[in-house]
Amino acid sequence: MQIQVMANILDKNDKMATQISALLNSHGIFAVNLLGSPGSGKTSLLENTIGALKNEIRMAVIEGDLFTSKDADRISCHGVPVVQINTGGGCHLDASMVKKALEKLDLTALDLIIIENVGNLVCPAEFNLGEDVKATVLSITEGEDKPLKYPLMFKQANIVVLNKIDLLPYTEFDMATATEDIFCLNPNITLVAASCRLGEGLQKWYEWLKQKISNKKRSVLAVID
Amino acid sequence: MCKTCNCGSETDSEQISVTIKGIKTSGCVKIIERSLLGLPGVLHVHVHAHDGKTKIAYNPVRTTIGDIANKLKSEGYHLQSNL
Repeated sequence: MQIQVMANILDKNDKMATQISALLNSHGIFAVNLLGSPGSGKTSLLENTIGALKNEIRMAVIEGDLFTSKDADRISCHGVPVVQINTGGGCHLDASMVKKALEKLDLTALDLIIIENVGNLVCPAEFNLGEDVKATVLSITEGEDKPLKYPLMFKQANIVVLNKIDLLPYTEFDMATATEDIFCLNPNITLVAASCRLGEGLQKWYEWLKQKISNKKRSVLAVID
Repeated sequence: MCKTCNCGSETDSEQISVTIKGIKTSGCVKIIERSLLGLPGVLHVHVHAHDGKTKIAYNPVRTTIGDIANKLKSEGYHLQSNL
């Protein structure tokens, strides 16, 4: 009986995610579902991204967190619209939460929405939010074993940002194994090695993001024409 | 996936036990595990080199048992179901 209930929950979520995707497509907005463990550097990546791109890309952030608005407070200092979702203890965002959050944003004035999911390497990978891509942040302090331990997160992702590479000399992190495992799980994934603290390596992420946003705009315009 | 909170599509993944024939060295284990993990729905592979007994966790919606068998065949191995 419980199996059926879970299947229904996901089915309902997927239907709402499809509605969100259609809504975002109608406005030509590119959406990123940002995933990763607590402390991996998702919010730091967001802060860097806003700082680097906000003058050329109109962006907003949806912040998922269990109870607090700590991350949203950090983001709001950077001068972009931010909407907080508190899951009340729930371990992931779902499409209904994101749909409500989108009602608080002016979609006519945006090119990019980044949805920072709840810090968790398991459940958020299962719930589509109507996004164009999933981006996973893995920090080297988590250890190189995480891709094989949490395979779905890396199977589902379009890009992995391997963060905190500035700490490599102080850890026993095996970069070759991590890279091999990630590409083994997902041969088509894009991998970015970066340090959000120093800004190192982030240019590749910015360029990847800008290319995706541009591709989305072009595809929407082609449909209108 | 998440058995703690009962969220997600736990029911979408299945675990099967099979025997893989053609394993000659321990190096074969790595080849098999890596090649199967590259399939879209395969989440975990554990191969015992000495007898070829293998457990595979996979999502049958994304990857069929036929896909797994074909992938093994392309690498020079073949699959025998234990079910």
